[in-house]
Amino acid sequence: MTTLLLATLFLPLFPSSMVFNWISTRLNFPYARSLLILIWPQIGILIIGQSAQQVLPGFIVWAFASALFYALRLLTVRELGLWASFIASSGLALTWTIAGTASIPDMQLFAFWFSLPAALLALLAAPLAKRFGAAFAGLSGDLTSCVPRLSAILAITILAAIATPPSPGFFSLLGLVNKLDWAIAAGILLIWLLWGWAATKLIQGFLTGEDNKQGATDISRTAVVLYACLMCIFIFSGFIFNGGML
Amino acid sequence: MDKLLCLLIALPMLSAIFSSLLTRETRTNIAKLSLGISGLTFIVSIASLAAYIITPHQQWINFGWAWGSLYLDPLSSVMVTAVSGISFVVHVYSLRYMAEEPGLVRFFTLLDLMTAAILMMVSAGDLVTLLVAWHLIGILLYFLLGHDLKRPAAQRYAFWSFFTYRIGDLPLILAAMLLYQAHGTLVLPTLFERIAAAPDALTIMGLPLTGTVGMLIALSAFARSAQFPLHTWLPYTMEGPTPVSALMHAGIVNAGGFIINRFAPVFMHAGTILHIVFVVGLITAILGSVLMLTQNDIKKSLGYSTMGQMGFMFVECGVGAFSLAIYHLIAHGLFKGTLFLNAGGVIGNARKQDGVPHDDVYTFVVERKPITSRLPWIFAAALTLVVPVLVLELSRWLVRGNFVGEQGAIILLFFGWATGAQLLFATYRLRAENPLRTMAMIILSLIIVVAGYTVIEHTFDLFLYPDRAIREQIYAAASVPLPTFEVLVIFISAAIVLGWIATYYATASNKPQNTNPSYLQLAIYSLITREFYVADVYAWLTQTLLNSSKRLNVWARWV
Repeated sequence: MTTLLLATLFLPLFPSSMVFNWISTRLNFPYARSLLILIWPQIGILIIGQSAQQVLPGFIVWAFASALFYALRLLTVRELGLWASFIASSGLALTWTIAGTASIPDMQLFAFWFSLPAALLALLAAPLAKRFGAAFAGLSGDLTSCVPRLSAILAITILAAIATPPSPGFFSLLGLVNKLDWAIAAGILLIWLLWGWAATKLIQGFLTGEDNKQGATDISRTAVVLYACLMCIFIFSGFIFNGGML
Repeated sequence: MDKLLCLLIALPMLSAIFSSLLTRETRTNIAKLSLGISGLTFIVSIASLAAYIITPHQQWINFGWAWGSLYLDPLSSVMVTAVSGISFVVHVYSLRYMAEEPGLVRFFTLLDLMTAAILMMVSAGDLVTLLVAWHLIGILLYFLLGHDLKRPAAQRYAFWSFFTYRIGDLPLILAAMLLYQAHGTLVLPTLFERIAAAPDALTIMGLPLTGTVGMLIALSAFARSAQFPLHTWLPYTMEGPTPVSALMHAGIVNAGGFIINRFAPVFMHAGTILHIVFVVGLITAILGSVLMLTQNDIKKSLGYSTMGQMGFMFVECGVGAFSLAIYHLIAHGLFKGTLFLNAGGVIGNARKQDGVPHDDVYTFVVERKPITSRLPWIFAAALTLVVPVLVLELSRWLVRGNFVGEQGAIILLFFGWATGAQLLFATYRLRAENPLRTMAMIILSLIIVVAGYTVIEHTFDLFLYPDRAIREQIYAAASVPLPTFEVLVIFISAAIVLGWIATYYATASNKPQNTNPSYLQLAIYSLITREFYVADVYAWLTQTLLNSSKRLNVWARWV
């Protein structure tokens, strides 16, 4: 049991998840923050793999409550880095719901599909903060006319983070809903709904608004191509390893 | 045929990719390219439909993946033609309408992606493809409705639409999962075969599987087609660009009728759910029509009109007239699309000159002049009561002899009767030089419209559901116990007859109108003008949730 409780620190469940979010928000280097979001939950899964104790059903309810808690809190978060941490906390908590039935590689893959878009969002906070002083929704607004390439990438990554098809998260969630009891499955769909709501608030905060008077340079075409390639690999990987549902 | 269907979905996707990549081309050239590919898509869809009519053969097209398959059947071949046709018209209109707007390339890219997503939805061959397309439509609609990024209202109502669609997505996911768990396949034709083989064999928590799945699909359809109380987003979608409103009202909002038809094999065994669909559709039709009549904004009025029409479409599904619902959604799509695309021109022209001819209709509607000559009220009342019934029964007799045996057909006859009677009553009140001639012309028009509608609907029925047993099974599922039905028929007939006689008598006696409304009348009026407070309740719920979120964040110190 102690090992499993230790795992909740890495594969975040509230209140242990506060440690993960605290470290994430205190890290000033965007790459470090992204790496944290990618690696931290994988450590948790490895700990679960080492544990002799079977994951108890109570953990599923705890994981669901934790995911719902962060999904609800996400609605009023406007700082992009914090948003990335919270969506990761909410999505990664769901990994616990398959802990009793799925293999360790399947769990790692499931966590990765939710970690990667969140990690990319944490990365995107850096160019925004550099250009506008802070990556804060509603602070500058109208990024579409000011930095169109960056805004397009931001919108696509936010959509991937909330498991919009054809991102792998969508298929993972379908697989999850398929495996769980229908009441928990319905609850997970409610969490999905809250993610969608939070995402539109964030998108509107960044992309829309009155004319942006701040003269900012857009990200380079090379960065866009690199980013697009990464997203394509991410999506096609999801087609191949689609969460074990199909 | 299978190649044509694949090409149909690939073309708009390619157009979207080209639009995004050809950054060196001028924005007008990109828009023209999108228009050209849209025209080509429409031509391919017509070819696909023609090929299916010549050699009707259902096909399931698989590419070797677990999902991404397509299903070519009468429903998908009709729907792809309707969708690509409406999309083409919207492209043509947008080329000029959006020419000066910022973000033209983004608009055409999204429009192409939306066309591809709808085409994928209507021709999906498995549950996952259907879910992917269903989800994408909601997302793309959000970005299309919020195209004007500087207008807060456009963003607000784009969000409303997105959120309602998201609410509707969730029951469909649950339905798909239940079907997959129960029948072990995602492939739609196989799934339908297994449901037909053992419709009542499976249960979930003691409830029949088909009923539970049918209810979930119906809920999803309600959200997508703006059924009460999930309707509040629809009238406000006018904040988006006009071509998007046209596409929305002519195509996307009709998805509810499509999904019920697609899952007809489920609804065949879920009669109770069809009764719920009927009641929800009826309430929506009445409320939509009432709200439409109280609007003073042409576009919002059209929005509520769409809500009413969607209600009628669900009424048709609820009585088992599935193919009629498809015919209705296509016909409604065409005329509503035309109305939306014309609305701007009408407003512009009206500002210059009202252009209303000073004829009988003008003096009756606008000047409200006292009527000088009209038919005797008892004669007009008799005509109103008898003529619609005769016309409807004759037209149905033209296409099918035993329709009286089908309860759904009889309920539709009631709707036809009420509509025909309304038309004749309006004619009776109309101030005309020769009232007998006007009445004769109206009756002739009624015969042509009703007979034409019935023949086309019957042709549609034979095309979409060629198996007579399936048609009868759908009607049987929608039926209620015979004694209940007979009592209802007697009650509704008596109500219609007595109501019309009372109306004619009151009109003929020409009693002065009461100028002091009662408290109840004022209460009803305020209820209607506040749109039944549904949006206010949602706004309160939204704010409560947001406040809870803020409190939780403060309590947890934002970590």
